[in-house]
Amino acid sequence: MDGARPVFIPVILGTPRQGRMSEHVARFVLGEVSKREGVETELIDIRNISIPVTDAGENVKEAKLSETIMRADALVIVVPEYNHGYPGLLKHVLDTNLKEYIHKAVGICGVSAGGFGGTRVIQNLLPVMRELGLVTIFWDGNFSSVQNIFDTSGNLVDQAYIKRIDKFLKELIWMAKVLRYGREKVPLE
Amino acid sequence: MSKGDQSKGVKMICPSCGVEMNYHADKLDYTAALTEPNKIDPELGGILDEVHTCPKCGRTDVRKTD
Repeated sequence: MDGARPVFIPVILGTPRQGRMSEHVARFVLGEVSKREGVETELIDIRNISIPVTDAGENVKEAKLSETIMRADALVIVVPEYNHGYPGLLKHVLDTNLKEYIHKAVGICGVSAGGFGGTRVIQNLLPVMRELGLVTIFWDGNFSSVQNIFDTSGNLVDQAYIKRIDKFLKELIWMAKVLRYGREKVPLE
Repeated sequence: MSKGDQSKGVKMICPSCGVEMNYHADKLDYTAALTEPNKIDPELGGILDEVHTCPKCGRTDVRKTD
């Protein structure tokens, strides 16, 4: 593995909804990823991705997004749970790429206003990740009753999430490095 | 590229930096099969993509098998 090249793990904010609490989560996780030595990151806000709704899949690939995913070694997906499922726009955006995901790591942070921290939306998203070729980790981020975790300015109030996300990111970074080595060095036989 | 090329050891070359890429995955593409039915692998039911990654820059590219 090319040790000179930093591990690149963008954070995807998976909802365009106005007033989204998931944005606080995404910015918190982004901040934690940024502190990691040898790791680079950036925020991918699906609200800012211009993709038509008159077609779908790789037909509506957006060049900048594809380039970012291509460069990534892993992804963090911050996803709110809407009616037990994931936002439609998130799926629309994810489906615009395919080869860009293969044999890369993904960690999912579920967000809910209720007490389950998005466990249902994470479970629903896992088969999608698998089919896209992404390798999921066994740590999740579960941000339950999200309205109580951050203050009105988006600052973290519940400090327990620092340790939880630390464990999450340790595993994700490990998986990102292992898979990069595999993509670059281990042939399919 | 024909299906036999990879088995003959014909590596893909990274278009960005010119080094041999590592072939690390096969992925079935069912959507492409709708527009190119002649390329469907009869046993797998879709078109097989070879996935290659450059060990120098990390770029990933695919090569469809015929």
